[in-house]
Amino acid sequence: MTEKKTVVITDARSVSAKCAAEYLAAQGWDVQLVPENVCLWDEAALTAFAQGVAETLHAVIHPAPEKILGGIDQLTEDDWRRARDEGPVAAFCVTKVFCNILREKQQGAIIYLNSIHAEKPVGKGMLFSMGCGAVQMLCREINQDYGRQGVNCYFVQQGIGEGEEGCISDASPLYCGVDLRYPARKIPPKDHLNGLLAFLLTDAAAPLSGSDLRADGGMTMYYNHRSKEEGRRYVNEE
Amino acid sequence: MKNEQRVALVTGSGKGVGAGIVKRLCAEGIRCCINCNANRTMAENTLREIEVLGGEAFIYQADVSKPEQLAGMVQAIIDKWGRLDILVNNAAMQPMKFVDEYDVETLQWLWDVNIGGYYHAVKACLPYLRQSSQGRVVNISSIHGKRPTNFDAGYAMTKGAIRMFTRELALELLPDNITVNAIDLGGCRIEFKTGNPRMHFLTPVEVTNPRMPYRYLQVEPKDVADLVWFLCSEDAGNINGDGIRLDRGAVLI
Repeated sequence: MTEKKTVVITDARSVSAKCAAEYLAAQGWDVQLVPENVCLWDEAALTAFAQGVAETLHAVIHPAPEKILGGIDQLTEDDWRRARDEGPVAAFCVTKVFCNILREKQQGAIIYLNSIHAEKPVGKGMLFSMGCGAVQMLCREINQDYGRQGVNCYFVQQGIGEGEEGCISDASPLYCGVDLRYPARKIPPKDHLNGLLAFLLTDAAAPLSGSDLRADGGMTMYYNHRSKEEGRRYVNEE
Repeated sequence: MKNEQRVALVTGSGKGVGAGIVKRLCAEGIRCCINCNANRTMAENTLREIEVLGGEAFIYQADVSKPEQLAGMVQAIIDKWGRLDILVNNAAMQPMKFVDEYDVETLQWLWDVNIGGYYHAVKACLPYLRQSSQGRVVNISSIHGKRPTNFDAGYAMTKGAIRMFTRELALELLPDNITVNAIDLGGCRIEFKTGNPRMHFLTPVEVTNPRMPYRYLQVEPKDVADLVWFLCSEDAGNINGDGIRLDRGAVLI
């Protein structure tokens, strides 16, 4: 990459975002992380940061916030407000601030590195899933607006990656033995999204703008966790 | 269970879609709480129409974005009738703003009304819905929770959230025998809409397809009420976690 191109990652605390940051930097991208002291739903603070990278800004990757898990009876008002602000409100502010810069240039991309829980419920992840569903619609909506002005928008539904399996299966009995829900019977490695993200940052991905890209190792399209052999054995034993 | 024994809360039911729903439920013998926020006069008109037909209902004024007001309303229902079997979440706002016109405060407020009102209403009603042998939650949503339209991203986000709220809640309440479904409503003919009506954003359908005028694609509050009534019936006991599109096929155009 000869020309300096900046990709901003708004929150690199998650395993997949951290991997992406390292990978893209190695590929020659100028990777800028939004400092942790800049609140993502503080429009003024975010704008100040964005102005600092505006000249070379090419793309933004906005990962989903930390999962807030728990049944409706256990969730508190603090959980509610946190989920609202860290999820949809932050995504909206990030979109507004960075896409306004990108549309001036008539190019660039915003990638919502989100979750399969924009479609697939957990049973104990209401606040997180609601935020994912909201950001999915944000991507579709802004594709109509910023998309016309040269900014491509992608919504990546990532599954549970290596290092992330514990939190969700502990909260919901529906996710016990989560690795068996993958056809390959193992949780994808932590760097499994790197190639996809790198592709989405290229012009070749433009025809995919506005789409949902499910990158979950087949988890959500896989129902029976038994192999055919095990299934036969199970039926015979019954 | 006889309908006469059942009790329903329909949020935002003083006018429009919600009024259509309470009128239908009361016509079936269900006792209803009519919830309104600002426009009590229209709620009183709705109540009169119900009473003329022999239905039983009362009005409770509450802002659904305020959890304590929702809790007060549910307590008033329990004080009056001692039970609650059906919750229809309907109260919502549509500010009709472009991305640049939203500030954080407006977005937070919209979220608190459009999804917070649904979430907190369920929280307040849940202890009583669990006691019912036929607990029902129906979330009135919009096709904008699935299809973008480029006139209000904030609004569409709240509808996307309702889609997942419905699915999560349906899974979570499976053991309680409470069904949770959503109705993804298309254009609906009502008295007036909240926010700034930019109807010109809705006209391209007529421009691009003159043989399919927009008015043919609108549903009436009665159509929504019929579907709500079905979802609350025993026959719909196996429908759970679904989002049923009610738009006369408009989204297909």
